[in-house]
Amino acid sequence: MELLLLWVVVGIEALVTATLFIILPRIARRGLLFGVYVGEVRWESDEARRITRGWYAGMVLGLVAGAALAFAVALVYPGSPAGPFVSLFALVALYPFLYLRAHLQARRMAEPGAPDVMAAPLVPETPASLEWPAFAIVVGVVGGGLAIGHAALNYEALPARVPTHFGFSGAPDAWSPRSFWTVLLLPIGTLIMGVSLGVVAALTARAKRAIRRQDKGVSVEAQMRFRSAMTRFLSGVAILTTVMMALLSVGAVEVALGRAERLPPLFMALTGVLLVYALGGSLYLALRYGQGGARLERRAEAAPLTDGLADNRRWVLGLFYVNRDDPSIFVEKRFGLGYTINFGNPRAIALLLVFLALIAAFTVAGVVSSR
Amino acid sequence: MVVRRDDPEAAYQQIARQIRSHVAAGNLPPGSVLPGVRTLASDLGVNLNTVARAYRLLEEQGFVRIHDRSGAEVVAPPRRADREAASELGVELSGLLARMRQAGLTPDEIRGLVERGIETLAARDGREA
Repeated sequence: MELLLLWVVVGIEALVTATLFIILPRIARRGLLFGVYVGEVRWESDEARRITRGWYAGMVLGLVAGAALAFAVALVYPGSPAGPFVSLFALVALYPFLYLRAHLQARRMAEPGAPDVMAAPLVPETPASLEWPAFAIVVGVVGGGLAIGHAALNYEALPARVPTHFGFSGAPDAWSPRSFWTVLLLPIGTLIMGVSLGVVAALTARAKRAIRRQDKGVSVEAQMRFRSAMTRFLSGVAILTTVMMALLSVGAVEVALGRAERLPPLFMALTGVLLVYALGGSLYLALRYGQGGARLERRAEAAPLTDGLADNRRWVLGLFYVNRDDPSIFVEKRFGLGYTINFGNPRAIALLLVFLALIAAFTVAGVVSSR
Repeated sequence: MVVRRDDPEAAYQQIARQIRSHVAAGNLPPGSVLPGVRTLASDLGVNLNTVARAYRLLEEQGFVRIHDRSGAEVVAPPRRADREAASELGVELSGLLARMRQAGLTPDEIRGLVERGIETLAARDGREA
């Protein structure tokens, strides 16, 4: 029964992921082809269509091959949970290859050198609302604080061995000796995760704008709408994650104390909600707005994109934006959905390093404490 | 506003010049607030200092007042010109007129250009009065 559920959940996940991957060229900004700015006219050429068709074919083939592989694994190792994940891994592993192939093909269509103009609207800015990210950060602090407080207050009463892993039903299936890290890793993680995701949402609200010249502000307007939707979506992810992790943290302590047999059903339900929200939300944002609001600006005349996103010299492999002069921290991605950082900005690099250090510290602490 | 890469004029001068002409045309009436230095630099993909330098130049020339918090605000021209500033600008104008003549413009063509410029300013002042 559990295995069947896993197949269904991971199967849906693989399908949604494949759909998201397949539609990526269709949600891109006009003029941007697989991370390369080829210009608005060439973007609609037969060559561009041929490259995009190659992507579709590769992805569909990957989805079918992944599914076949998953069933083969299930036949060879019946009862193993590895089967359903194989299809998902196959897709994720295929992505960089297909992208790189399409990117290199698109690069041949690009004009060498930089776009000759950089543009900006000369109107006072209307700063994006930070209400949602602020709320997410507050929830992160409160949720994380409560989880830490609950674990710390009950620390002395905990038995020598505490549960560190839970099965599908919410009952524990692995235990470790009680230590500072086995007990407090999760609550501290809740605090850091909730706050970090809130900060990412706030940075998204203030990301660099992609501007088209002489489009009467349509591109700026479109991406402001996309950005505020994306900010709300990310804040929602942050809040759900905090609540879910706080419940898990408190639930684990309650199970260890013998006050509960399994994790609260609300936690199990929230895990599902978060999955549906994250995948469904991404799909909705992609289809409704397109990357950076590309689908909203389509109706505008084909005004050329300026600097930032248009300058091929600033983008390594179409993935990494490196511009020392640009004070922006968050920049719209050229391919895919969402934002990336400006690798030429020391502040952005510092932020990335802090995130990586936190992840590394928690991974190490997790490995050490489970020994 | 656009900044041209291939233009021999420095980026900060291009920015200042375009803001000046927007002020002259009445697109940026006194009291209007310019985008923040960071926002404008981010939009253009240029260094913060470039925009800050343009704003400082505009402040020196009396077009904007820079507030610490709210950014740069366009200011109305003073009722009476400062004598020193007027004589400096007079020197600049004769230099510009000489360049125009040297570029081949006839005195009548120069007069036409100057009159049209003054008319634009008068129309703006009429709108703002």
